[in-house]
Amino acid sequence: MRFLQPGTLEEAISTRVDNPEQSVIIAGGTAVVLMLQHGLIAPEVLISLEKIPGLDSIRIEDNRLHIGALAKLGDVADSRLVRQYFPALFAACAAVGNVRVRNQATLGGNLAEADYASDPPAALMMLDALVEVKGISGTRQISLPDLLLGFLTTTLEPDELITGVIIPIPTEQPRMAYLRYNNRSSEDRPCVGIAASATFNDAICTGLRLTVGAACEIPTRLSEIEALAVGSPLTDTRIHEIAEGYAAGIETIDDLQSSAWYRTQMIRVHIQRVLKGLRDG
Amino acid sequence: MSKHTVTMTVNGTKYTREIESRLLLVHFIREDLELTGTHIGCDTTNCGACTVLMDGFTVKSCTVFAMTANGKSIETIEGVAQNGALHPLQEGFWEKHGLQCGYCTPGMIMSAKHLLSNNPNPTEDEIRWGLSGNLCRCTGYNKIVEAVQYAAEKMSAEQEQDA
Repeated sequence: MRFLQPGTLEEAISTRVDNPEQSVIIAGGTAVVLMLQHGLIAPEVLISLEKIPGLDSIRIEDNRLHIGALAKLGDVADSRLVRQYFPALFAACAAVGNVRVRNQATLGGNLAEADYASDPPAALMMLDALVEVKGISGTRQISLPDLLLGFLTTTLEPDELITGVIIPIPTEQPRMAYLRYNNRSSEDRPCVGIAASATFNDAICTGLRLTVGAACEIPTRLSEIEALAVGSPLTDTRIHEIAEGYAAGIETIDDLQSSAWYRTQMIRVHIQRVLKGLRDG
Repeated sequence: MSKHTVTMTVNGTKYTREIESRLLLVHFIREDLELTGTHIGCDTTNCGACTVLMDGFTVKSCTVFAMTANGKSIETIEGVAQNGALHPLQEGFWEKHGLQCGYCTPGMIMSAKHLLSNNPNPTEDEIRWGLSGNLCRCTGYNKIVEAVQYAAEKMSAEQEQDA
């Protein structure tokens, strides 16, 4: 196995084009090294992105937050800008694994791996983030629903790399939360993760965004159910209705950690907790 | 097989070695440098026994390629005691019986060192979160938490004396 450390994005992309079948891209390595250790992948070439400069910055430009693909999850969680504007993304990144994993794992790597049992993708989808992708024919920006295809699968072309994530800063700061439910130990993979944001005019809910992750193949947002919240107070009855809508509308995953049935129950319970928290401020 | 030359500073000493590209940092430290204080517990990022500091941040050295550490500064358990004197954390593990078999201890101490450098006066909860991901199968963790508290107090007292 060869380990290549290209110094520019262009070089990384052309290396990938030269070795489309036999190469694997590695960023922080927390996922790729594990797959190698378990013998799940056996690439001839590892293309490491770590020497490419400038891909780890977190900055505001044109009223949008730009997070470089190589920003570590720990850096995202520690970022003053992220904490100020997107507390749900802070909470989701701070919930991943443990401090040693967050010191290594990158936001771009997290998205490219497309592991369902993860926290940041649900928060990013809830925030309407765009993923910036660069390939041989140029760059494009795609939404999370357009990036994530299914279990460990994305729509990235073989020559494409994730270079960053762009999140629009809302004009009115909503109330925001990310709630991760673990049914086993704290550093285990999540059973259910719920990202939500809501705006209110007095007690009247004027907007709700709600994404469920970790329980399903890709994070799920149901706009017709979100719309039930808008225009009236978030009463317990209304919250229950929204929770039922998500529980009924999401096809949950059966795995070693939880049954699909259990995950559905946990979606119902935790959506109610999150929404009551947002309502009560 | 592809060979590469890497240079890194480990516990203040600069080492240059020729390595295979697939060599993991933990094997570089243990086998190439013969610093066997860094342990391999699970080899799959679960246990934290292999924790070292890379440029001041804790990483699990079984999940980092040696190539990635090229040009970086590494600190292992062998670099913690200074001039033959135990570090307050090592003293804390001794005083508070923070170990039984000792296998997890180097990783625990490196994780605790990183925690205390960011947060010199952690609460018990912060210590437990800071050590989350470092597994101990003997102590039930209470003695380890006490050892870190001992070190935090001692280091704060030392700092006050210096000031």
